[in-house]
Amino acid sequence: MTMTLPYHRVNVLTGTKAARIIEDPSEYAHLIKRASRPLLVLGPRILTMSLGERLLAEYAVEIAKAADIPICATAHTQKKLLELGVQPASNYDLIEIINHLKDPEWRGVKKEGNHDLVIFLGVRTDLGEQGLSTLKHFAPHLKTMTLCKYYYPNASYSLPNFRKDEQWKEFLDKLIENLKTKEA
Amino acid sequence: MKVVEKKRTRKDEVYKVIKADDKWEPIGHTPMPEIPDLRNWDLRLLKTYKPFYAPFCDLCCFCTYGKCDLTGDKRGACGIDISAQQARIVLLACCMGMSAHGGHARHVLHYLIERLGPDYKINLGDQILVEAPHIRTVLGMKPETLGDLEKVMEYAESQLIQCVSSLHTGQEGSALDYESKALHISMLDHVVMEVADIAQIVGFGYPTSKADTPLVGLGWGAVDRTKPVILLVGHNPVTAVPIVDYLNEHGLADKVEVAGICCTALEVTRYSERAKVVGPLSRQLFFVRCGIADVIVTDEQCIRTDMPIEAAKVGSALIATSEKVCYGLEDASKKAVDEIVSDMLNHSKQVLILDPEKAAEVAVRVALGLAPKRNKVLVKPEEVPELAKGHRLCNMCSQVCPNLLPVGDAIEAAKNGNIQPLVEVFEKCIGCGKCEQECPRHVPIFKMMQAAASWEEWKIRAGRGPIMDTEIRKVGAPIVLGTIPGVIAIVGCSNFPEEIEEIAEIAEEFAKRKYIVVLSGCSAMVAGMKKDKEGKTLYEKYPPDFDAGGIVNVGSCVANAHITGAAIKIANIFATLPLRGNYEVIADYILNRVGACGLAWGAYSQKAASIATGCNRLGIPVVVGPHSSKYRRLYLSRKEEDDWTVMDGREKKLVDTQEPSPEHLITVVESKERAMVTLAKLCIRKNDTPQGRQIKLTHYIGLHKQYLGTLPDDLHLYIRRASDIPIFFKKEVTAYLEKVGWKEKPVLSLPTLIGTYPSEVPIDAVVH
Ligand code: SF4
Ligand code: SF4
Ligand code: SF4
Repeated sequence: MTMTLPYHRVNVLTGTKAARIIEDPSEYAHLIKRASRPLLVLGPRILTMSLGERLLAEYAVEIAKAADIPICATAHTQKKLLELGVQPASNYDLIEIINHLKDPEWRGVKKEGNHDLVIFLGVRTDLGEQGLSTLKHFAPHLKTMTLCKYYYPNASYSLPNFRKDEQWKEFLDKLIENLKTKEA
Repeated sequence: MKVVEKKRTRKDEVYKVIKADDKWEPIGHTPMPEIPDLRNWDLRLLKTYKPFYAPFCDLCCFCTYGKCDLTGDKRGACGIDISAQQARIVLLACCMGMSAHGGHARHVLHYLIERLGPDYKINLGDQILVEAPHIRTVLGMKPETLGDLEKVMEYAESQLIQCVSSLHTGQEGSALDYESKALHISMLDHVVMEVADIAQIVGFGYPTSKADTPLVGLGWGAVDRTKPVILLVGHNPVTAVPIVDYLNEHGLADKVEVAGICCTALEVTRYSERAKVVGPLSRQLFFVRCGIADVIVTDEQCIRTDMPIEAAKVGSALIATSEKVCYGLEDASKKAVDEIVSDMLNHSKQVLILDPEKAAEVAVRVALGLAPKRNKVLVKPEEVPELAKGHRLCNMCSQVCPNLLPVGDAIEAAKNGNIQPLVEVFEKCIGCGKCEQECPRHVPIFKMMQAAASWEEWKIRAGRGPIMDTEIRKVGAPIVLGTIPGVIAIVGCSNFPEEIEEIAEIAEEFAKRKYIVVLSGCSAMVAGMKKDKEGKTLYEKYPPDFDAGGIVNVGSCVANAHITGAAIKIANIFATLPLRGNYEVIADYILNRVGACGLAWGAYSQKAASIATGCNRLGIPVVVGPHSSKYRRLYLSRKEEDDWTVMDGREKKLVDTQEPSPEHLITVVESKERAMVTLAKLCIRKNDTPQGRQIKLTHYIGLHKQYLGTLPDDLHLYIRRASDIPIFFKKEVTAYLEKVGWKEKPVLSLPTLIGTYPSEVPIDAVVH
């Protein structure tokens, strides 16, 4: 098997446990729906990256709404999310939310118990990769998933490196569609 | 073993070194501490601020048992787990950082003692009587001569050998103990930085006891390339100073340009106002490849390890001057100057010269001889598309960029005549050169950047060294009471995540808000690289005083000791706490009372790791940028879950304050907006008076609303009584407190951790 390299080579994994690459949006949707307490962690790149005509932040909001996932708004993303009419459940910064997620006894952003699936979107790839490394090693009680257009080796589930933004857009559109439909 | 006779105890030895008979202050509990002596203080800190690890690699390859896979709960063949391995790497980084500063200190001391003698007196001017706050606090010694500083080095080196040895396979097994050692060696990092800078100030006659040091030229555009140019790269002024002397003695001062990159620039501009600061570390490769330098003189730390190759490419001569960086070059130190100059001019020879005066003469003569033969033409914007013609958007460059920049897209635009995206890439570029190296079509990306870079000249205030005792007397009370909302120390390297202008923006935001802003190193440089509408830089706009609204450049990396030293001096000069061998009391005072916070936005080196960790042991929190997650370790609390009980030193009873102040000791943030909010919060201290707390919260709330859009959702944790509520936001805050069911919190008269953990220090020691 050839090894998949992350897009940004500073994130090359030197280890033995790497993410499962998933290219099928329905499989992603299934994993999200199956989770009992998912959490969507948003980083500041949702404020500057666009897909088609829309800001990534708008995609983030749609995903959160489609699957009723609480949001942790890291960095300074909260302000934009409020403008888009969404109240984040938490505004811990990235490292702070990860520090909490490490603790299996933590009550989660909704005080209902720790999360079993943590989905990341819009974090710098290097910082994101480091945060995922923390969870890979110290949070065996949860799974991590990334929605950015790059491969993240330290996640549990990752997208591949999409060569074209259109592929990524298509994935996200289909993911949202899948999340909106009820599973049998 | 039979103990025949008690010969000499460690205490006797310590007392001899610190001249215990000289009774300037009572000696505290830990003069010249060894690893175990402050371990309980560390463990107390680490109980609240637990190490958070983000492994950069799952494996360990330190010994021939390995590689060992340490993923999750696996252990290596030696028994170590992933946490202890991360802490071990952190300790290794801190040892490297401390020894880089220590090596610098040793070199400067050695040079000066050879010329001035060991009895040469330390005198920092009439405004600085507490000459060495770190050495006084850690060792318990008041250094009077250069020879005394050598004794300080001997002690620091003895601790380094212990700490490095603990890194060996089959030694320490606990992450917390590795952290304690990292804190120990990093405390000593500040000691050796203090040694280096005191020696430089007294030995080279740098400005001291004054705030308004000269404004000097800043930027690659400040360098007059019509003259012969000598470029100094690194940190150590031992060769830079003789170069300036040689030029002055030979009437060449206005005929040759002396410019520096990285900290040597800050050193040489403390010695000569004519010298120029080219810029931070991130502009090193860019400037070298511009070919403006006729002679490049390297000393130590943060210099390109391929400098001989880069210098040769553009026809710059190269002189290495430090035994730490010999580049495989011939040691020409014993050769006659004429012979070396001829070798360099006629045979393009690169040399190592370890005799600073000889290196200086050679540098000047080669610059004079070489400059007329060289052509220093820069690329013009209209030439850019032609340079890019080989490019095909493969994005290999973007994939290797450690700052994740869209280099390929920028080259694509430049090829089509739009240089703006390349301007933006240049603003964020950290100067590694990987993009150009990777390009399969050999696009000269750095050359193209010459057209994208701004060639304007900025100003920086020359580094001024220690904060004056008189200034501390003035601001001590307002800082401790909280009416000056905080000291923001913007320090360290230029591995910035975004535009370098962010540093100036952050500095100005806090200066406007009447914090005291202190800078050093590459951060001090980039703070000057932005002009307002009237064409003024921050250094021209804000006063140079260590006072509310001031912007202070203390100097190079080793001058960081003066920033932490100022916090120590507040405890001493304002609160009259004795420093001598009294580390726990002083660190406890700073943690609970001095609202200072560091920002190392572009930290990249091991020195930055030890500087930050040294701040942490002293009770000063630090905020770092996203790249710093690769340091692998942070110290974080969890505000709602953790126990915030402290001792009321006057009442001698434990009080559950429920107040997470300061919330973290070292944390990573991703955006400048979040950094500003976090800095304001981390200046909050348990000791704030209601008036001081109101002021601090006004800024925390103001910044939070500005950048995150709401009141902070942890605001209730920082309001002890109604009198803490900032008047400006009274209505909103009162409504918020009602909504969350806020209740008054216990108040205390003298917050301290002493008495909450096993320590020989009595609680009374903190009462002043
Ligand atoms: S030091 Fe320990 S973990 Fe590292 S390679 Fe050797 S045995 Fe393995
Ligand atoms: S030189 Fe600059 S643009 Fe090129 S890879 Fe390095 S940081 Fe990125
Ligand atoms: S690597 Fe070279 S050819 Fe490829 S995108 Fe970058 S500049 Fe263009």
